[in-house]
Amino acid sequence: MSVVFQRLWRPGFSRREPTAAELFGHADRLRRAGRYAEAAELVSRGLDQDPASVTGHLLAAYLHVARRTMEPAKQEFRWVLARDASHPRALLGLARIALEEGDIDGGREALARALRAYPDFPEAQALLEGLATRRPARPPGRPRLDRLRLPAAARALLILAGDGSVLAARPEGASEQGLRLARTVSLAAATMKRAGLGPLRRGIVADDDAVHILRADVTITLAVMLPRTTRITQGLLEVNRLWAAAQHELAVAKNEVVEAAAPADAGRVS
Amino acid sequence: MSRLRLGLELDGSSRGRQVCDVVQALARAATVRGALLVAPDGFAIAAEVPPTVAIEPLAALAATLGRDLEVGASRLGRGAFQTAMFSSDDGTLFLAASCIGFMVALAEPQGSVQAIRGALEEAVTAIDSSWASSAPAATAT
Repeated sequence: MSVVFQRLWRPGFSRREPTAAELFGHADRLRRAGRYAEAAELVSRGLDQDPASVTGHLLAAYLHVARRTMEPAKQEFRWVLARDASHPRALLGLARIALEEGDIDGGREALARALRAYPDFPEAQALLEGLATRRPARPPGRPRLDRLRLPAAARALLILAGDGSVLAARPEGASEQGLRLARTVSLAAATMKRAGLGPLRRGIVADDDAVHILRADVTITLAVMLPRTTRITQGLLEVNRLWAAAQHELAVAKNEVVEAAAPADAGRVS
Repeated sequence: MSRLRLGLELDGSSRGRQVCDVVQALARAATVRGALLVAPDGFAIAAEVPPTVAIEPLAALAATLGRDLEVGASRLGRGAFQTAMFSSDDGTLFLAASCIGFMVALAEPQGSVQAIRGALEEAVTAIDSSWASSAPAATAT
């Protein structure tokens, strides 16, 4: 038999079922290309062969996250952690789900655990940066932000201090969104930093129903929700006007604090 | 100088090449410094970014930010998250949701917001239409 024919005629090799490891390897390549459905099929076949495979369950977890099905993803990550309590990828996965669910402390704890086991874990370090509590920076005094005049079409206004606390909210119920806005701003700022960009100054987020426009500096974050049909340039003008008015109120409050702190007879000519 | 990384380097499928082409085209648009497509689980599917930018941490953060915006929109009953833009004095970060993940573009500060948003939307449409037409139905384990 010629060498070429021997290479072509390998019935034992070509007809055998792929092993679980081969299936998982191929599934991982498909997953990394965004071909989640095909990858899931291979992972399912691999787990039929080897139900106790950590690799298989980890891949299943990733695929659930990729397809935005978080409950089964959590179960798979927990399955992995039950067998390897410091598995960094499973901890990272659970941390990200905890953040989505608003469990900041849970997310931070999982990331810290991953970094304790593997200090050189850039993704976990980056996410922890994104959760870092901003420097407690509250504007001095009590700025009269209730005096701000909202655009007629505005559905909500939220102003946060540098530490994430709510300084003003309209309507009143909007203050419940303060924590979420603070987290979004913090994640956006960390993402920009990792992208080599500077501190966050402005943001525009659009969904099916509304557009959110924000401005930020180290002292405050101001966000306004407008109807989706709003022209962006018009929205930006409105937010700039509100920003200037808010800065004015902050300056007035600061002056009041300075004046109150000054001794009553300071400056008096005797 | 830029780097190109594609998750399915070994596959060579038409969809894999198309993702690569879409990300490259976005990264080469006027005033765009780089672009990447990240899966919701935080892995970079394709990336073409300046060599000074580390892909993995940026991908992890971009995916987390994207999911935060998606979940926020759906929790408040506002429908689906579409696009976001965050700017600094040094440049702008654009993010849009696609069926397989989040498309990210990094742009110069003087870039035209409308033009880059248009290029981003085109990229998302190209990927979504490619996936919708050929994705087989299967369930995750």
